[in-house]
Amino acid sequence: MVPLYCEGLALSASRDDTRRELNRFLAGVERKAFRMARMALRHDDDALDAVQDAMLQLARRYAQRPAEEWRPLFYRILENRIRDLQRRRMVRGKVMALLPWRRDTDEDPPDPVAEALDHAPGPAEQVEGMGMMAKLEMALAKLPARQREAFLLRNLEGLDVAETAAAMGCSDGSVKTHYFRAVQALKSQLGEFWT
Amino acid sequence: MNVSNEPDEFEKRAAALLRASVDGMDGATRARLAHARAAALEPATRARHWLDLRYLAPAGATAVAVLATVLVLNHGKPDALVNEGAGIALYDMDLLADADALDIAEETDLDFIEWAAAQGEQGPGG
Repeated sequence: MVPLYCEGLALSASRDDTRRELNRFLAGVERKAFRMARMALRHDDDALDAVQDAMLQLARRYAQRPAEEWRPLFYRILENRIRDLQRRRMVRGKVMALLPWRRDTDEDPPDPVAEALDHAPGPAEQVEGMGMMAKLEMALAKLPARQREAFLLRNLEGLDVAETAAAMGCSDGSVKTHYFRAVQALKSQLGEFWT
Repeated sequence: MNVSNEPDEFEKRAAALLRASVDGMDGATRARLAHARAAALEPATRARHWLDLRYLAPAGATAVAVLATVLVLNHGKPDALVNEGAGIALYDMDLLADADALDIAEETDLDFIEWAAAQGEQGPGG
């Protein structure tokens, strides 16, 4: 029979191993996750909040799951968190619009990307003089959320179709459709200018 | 659709750009991410304590605001929160706490008061 204190030590060692492994995993995905969140939310602090919450939830709830499940789980949590923040922002915007004293003063500074999208004269003028990454980022910002999500999970995180489907909570077929539409839309926006 | 699932030149280029943007991330953001990771991996008790503080502060502020609102709305209406029975009890408490009243009670000749009361009951001719 194994003494209780030996079992306790083994459990503690196992937890330390899991924590180390989780730390390695999160260190490997955190920057990509931040880029994805930043593109969706267009705000550094909100993006950081989303990533941190996703890290926290993964560590608290899913650390004991097999390590190969962490990646799709993490991105699924992250996408949910991003959507929550977007919804909250939308509701806050509507409420603030109803408050008379908020109409003229105390408004958030304008989002340069959103402004560029709103007042863009045309693709050629829009992308002229911009870096390639900025052009891509602007084009990604115009995509529907699911298309952008599929494109980034495939090309930034390098997930395959099945992993992307698990992360997005949909079928492989849906992932292929979203991805295909994303690529077509990006090509139509950037194709001839993105050289 | 790209049936072969092999990325074309456009996709490869986009992927390379996205990865380069991640590799070139500024030091301040990397540091914030590392800090966030460390916080997420802290033992649950400490993290919960941090979460409690995060959510207790606004809850406390809300409670104070509600209390202040109630006090402001009831300003000038001292009896609004006190029912009749409670008012009587408060009156008794005031009497008990009144040191002068206790002195008077000690100095009073209770025998005389009883005698005077008996005289009153018997009437003036008594």
